[in-house]
Amino acid sequence: MASALRLAFPFVVTALVWQAFALWGPFPPKLFPGVDKIAATFVRLLLNGVLVIHALGTIARLVAGFAIGGVLGVALGLAMGRSRRAEELLLPIVSVGNPVPGLAYAPLFVIWFGLGNLPAVLLVGFAAAFPVAVNTWTGVKTVKEIWIRAARSLGAGERQLFRAVVLPGALPYVLTGLRLGLARAWRVLIAVEMLTSVSLGLGWLIFGAREFLATDVMLAGIAVIGIVGLALEKLVFERLEHYTVVRWGMLAR
Amino acid sequence: MKGTLVSFGFAALVWEAFARSGIFPAVATPSLLAIGAALVAMIADGTLFVHVLYTLYRIVVGLALAAIVGVPLGMLMGRFGSVERFVLPLVSVLNPIPSLAWVPVFIMWFGLGNTAAMALVFYAAAFPLILNAWTGMRSVNRIWLRAASSMGADDRTLFLKVVLPGALPFVIAGLRQAFARAWIAVVGGEMIAATSWGLGWLIFDSKEFLNTDVMIATLVAIGVLGLVFERVVFQLLERRTVGRWGMVRMAGA
Repeated sequence: MASALRLAFPFVVTALVWQAFALWGPFPPKLFPGVDKIAATFVRLLLNGVLVIHALGTIARLVAGFAIGGVLGVALGLAMGRSRRAEELLLPIVSVGNPVPGLAYAPLFVIWFGLGNLPAVLLVGFAAAFPVAVNTWTGVKTVKEIWIRAARSLGAGERQLFRAVVLPGALPYVLTGLRLGLARAWRVLIAVEMLTSVSLGLGWLIFGAREFLATDVMLAGIAVIGIVGLALEKLVFERLEHYTVVRWGMLAR
Repeated sequence: MKGTLVSFGFAALVWEAFARSGIFPAVATPSLLAIGAALVAMIADGTLFVHVLYTLYRIVVGLALAAIVGVPLGMLMGRFGSVERFVLPLVSVLNPIPSLAWVPVFIMWFGLGNTAAMALVFYAAAFPLILNAWTGMRSVNRIWLRAASSMGADDRTLFLKVVLPGALPFVIAGLRQAFARAWIAVVGGEMIAATSWGLGWLIFDSKEFLNTDVMIATLVAIGVLGLVFERVVFQLLERRTVGRWGMVRMAGA
């Protein structure tokens, strides 16, 4: 109880400061709504299902895009790590492409694939693939040569070598890559939903609210975005890491 | 070096084949020649530099403000438990919200243009700076502190000579991450909060006229600039400060 109070304290203070600013600050209430107004809007949109339906649209798009980016990135990274030729051919392109903001490609994707779901999902996959590829490549490179030789001399075939040595050895890096990729996918997705005018999505919800000067709707939407983002980190990745890498003893915990 | 040339030659060939394949109409996939011509034309009439300067201006001001606020805040968190208990919960809730989700809200508050873009950069950059300064403060070796105080260092000397250099590698790493995030935020912000200058706006504006050659030329400029910052500016900064003071071992030094 005491620890819950202590955790709530910073949020209560922030809410009070926000409220004071809303009441006495320079902005009209339409542009800077008070906490009570935001909370009321949040509850209203939660009960009539608007927030849930937009959140589901965003999550579906995230899952689809991240699946594409994850598979593509792991495949590219494994190819670059295992084959010298693939590494020489692809690594410079991947390293130059990696720091370019994925969102910068959004208009190009819109020209190629039109508006709606397709360019959004593809762009999310494209943006997520880079960190996954780079980290998978690093992971394969860090698998000790001695492990590979030991397994070979014990008679492991290529397939066995890959499944039993290379993959578990590279996995901590692959997971780091997937984690970074998901974070990137998440950040790009919210923005690209604003640009490709998908029909249901949190990015579109807050961007569309601009037309009606509905700042309360925007802030309620941002609150949902924060909740989904936090849940992604806590529920998806910390668990995934626990069930795989820690269990196999690849990472000391 | 030769490998890099081969790699980019390969990428150029793949693009050219893709551009001429007719999968998309020719106007959507300009040839390398057209992209090069667009790039040369923008350099020749100087418009590219104006766009670059606007983007850099927004990013530098936003980043500087974020550093002025974020680094001392992170350091205070590392030094005083009460500050940590107050700020950390807020940071962990706000950090997973993509900065671009705030674009519609910032447009409402600050209007279109520079202020909204800078506020966006500030939001994107502040969290990595806070978190890294905080980690840096906690990672300062206790023995150094005791050694320095037993040799008669007062609080000020202790801070300037031991704590600050000790935390600096982390602060610089934070600055790097902050730049990477700010770069995404500024390009996205310029697209959505349309102004009339800046690289993000240039890409977005070219979409209206199907000037795909200009779009891809701008993407190239964004890639080159990002690379210059990462490889030149930040490495120089690292070498001049922490490298020189012997806080980290520099590669090749």
